[in-house]
Amino acid sequence: MTTRMKRIQWMTALGASLTLALTACGGGDDGGSAGADDPIVVGISLPLTGDFSEPGKGVQRGYEAWAKITNDKGGLLGRKVELKILDDQSNADRVVADYEQLIGKDNVDLVVGPFSTRLVVPAARVAEEYGMLFVEPAGAAKEVFEQGFKNLFYAAPAVANDHYNHLAEYILALPPDQRPKTAAYAAMDDPFAQGTAYGLKEKLEAGGVRTVVDEVYPPNTTDFGSIAAKIAASKADMVVGGSQYQDGVNLIVALQQLRYQPKLAAFSTAPTNPEFAAAIGNKTEGILSPTGYTQDAKYPSNTEFVEKYTAQFGSPPEEDEANAYTTGQVVAAAVTAVGCAEQGDCQKKLVEWVRTNTVETVVGPLSWDETGKPKGAHMIQQWVGGKIQIVLPADAKETDLVYPKPAW
Amino acid sequence: MPSGALLFQSIILGLLLGGLYALLAAGLTLYFGIMRVVMIAHSAFLILAAYLAWWSHTRLGVDPLLSMIVTVPLFFACGVLLQRVLLARLRPVTLTMMSVLLTFAIAVLIEGLLGYVFTGTQRRIQLGYGSASFGIFGARVAVVKLIAFGLAAVALLTLYLLMKKTTFGWALRATIQHRDAARLVGIETERVAGYGFGLGLATAAIGGTALALDTTIYPSLHWHWIGPLMAIIVVGGLGSVPGAAMAAMVLGMLQSLLQIPLGTTWAQTIFYLALFATLAFRPQGFFGGRLAQRF
Repeated sequence: MTTRMKRIQWMTALGASLTLALTACGGGDDGGSAGADDPIVVGISLPLTGDFSEPGKGVQRGYEAWAKITNDKGGLLGRKVELKILDDQSNADRVVADYEQLIGKDNVDLVVGPFSTRLVVPAARVAEEYGMLFVEPAGAAKEVFEQGFKNLFYAAPAVANDHYNHLAEYILALPPDQRPKTAAYAAMDDPFAQGTAYGLKEKLEAGGVRTVVDEVYPPNTTDFGSIAAKIAASKADMVVGGSQYQDGVNLIVALQQLRYQPKLAAFSTAPTNPEFAAAIGNKTEGILSPTGYTQDAKYPSNTEFVEKYTAQFGSPPEEDEANAYTTGQVVAAAVTAVGCAEQGDCQKKLVEWVRTNTVETVVGPLSWDETGKPKGAHMIQQWVGGKIQIVLPADAKETDLVYPKPAW
Repeated sequence: MPSGALLFQSIILGLLLGGLYALLAAGLTLYFGIMRVVMIAHSAFLILAAYLAWWSHTRLGVDPLLSMIVTVPLFFACGVLLQRVLLARLRPVTLTMMSVLLTFAIAVLIEGLLGYVFTGTQRRIQLGYGSASFGIFGARVAVVKLIAFGLAAVALLTLYLLMKKTTFGWALRATIQHRDAARLVGIETERVAGYGFGLGLATAAIGGTALALDTTIYPSLHWHWIGPLMAIIVVGGLGSVPGAAMAAMVLGMLQSLLQIPLGTTWAQTIFYLALFATLAFRPQGFFGGRLAQRF
């Protein structure tokens, strides 16, 4: 089970180790106090191999794009930004050792977070211990914000439980005769995936929408026929999937095979994946999904990001890349405002600054509460006319939400 | 209390699932039967076949079922080669244990190569009839699941006839029953064992194609399959193809029905409970009959 998505990526591993060896030789020989010409070294541990290697590499590209774009503009405080990336193999023990090394031994100036809740929490503990500012791109589950971290900030519009907020408001605002009366939920047993579905479930139940199916399946589930049968038999007005990619796709196809036609279908993660439409045979019409990022968002830094990222990597950025880039933007804003970037007292000032300010990013303006939770919600996208478009909230929408959804 | 419609639908899904399990487990039980090889790489070969089916569909535009024209003989040859070149060299005393290590290595190798060649991106064959289904007494039968079931039925029936009605089948069964005696009556047991292994891998080619029709595939998917498949062949009685088929149908059905009251997580434990019960009370398997008693 833990070997999910485990791939042996010798080439990446080799490349990463070579890069590390080179950066280790190149930098860090001064060791002493930071001069004006020294680069600002940002320490990162990422799951470049193992379970989370696919998103991990996306996050890496996001950080690299941020470093390049920042350096092309002259760096931070007139100093170049240099990334020091270690591979934690998606392993929580390794991630702890990595940040210990980055902060304690390598004496990096700044650290930023890895990918996934499971790695963010142990990593944040180390950063907290050393009093480092810890902005992270991927710890969206609510557990992250229940640990009492003082230095942690999640660089995205919303945590998992708030992903569907705009949709909940929309549904509860519908006239009573149109509002769905029953809902079926199926969620992967994973803090993030389950968090998204249960965030919506709580709000809809409070608003009077009855839960008729509530299924949680383990991440290694391969057969979704039985879950789909339960949902179809319940004839629920709407179905909500707390899914990652493959489970979301398999569940939707299984539901379609049983000719279940809900008035509303919402799945997290899967529908925003570029391969989604092809995977389910283009029967996507009306499927909803929360998203924290869209390449089309009109924020000035986003236009720049999409253009320069595409030039650097050959294809436009997805959500993982954008989250990492956002993390970089938050840290950069703090460093620029405070005017320092080394370990020690400076970190305290950086934390204080982030806590009390709003940062303009590629996902819009971000600000945080006491626990480091962003004060926002995700946009809701829907497949309309063969492409996925923003439908909620009203001020960001590209097209109107289609309800009830067309048959799939 | 679940409705009658849901029960009936679950029974149909359980039958279809059981058929697929039977096909996927058939090869595994053959390797055990013929030469006491624990073939950890069987499910990796399933995923390899699934990838080849996906690849031929996406790149060459042919129906995934047609990919079997190439993959079945290819896997057969691969199996013969694997047995002759690698497994036959293991010492008989430590064969079972060493085969675990050897085939584990092969599984990791296949997974690594799949990841390298096709990347870790999750793939799914896009068929025009991927979500098509038809109704039967109020329940729905998905076309792709039925095709997979049909493939399983044809493959297992062919395997059964091959074992029962052909000289090769007799030689193979003789080799399974008593290798030395078989050798004494003039059967070239080494060659027969090689062909038997090839036959097992050939079923993996068919099974993998059936799997690819209705599931998203990725290189490490095989680890999710090897556990339940091992449980099936132990419950069915090692070495017995009909036993494996029976066990697969029963466990597939149980999984599907237990899903209703217990949910997915607990329904999946049925495989391990059955495995435990078999090892504790009837180590030769519940459906294996005489053949399996050797182990």
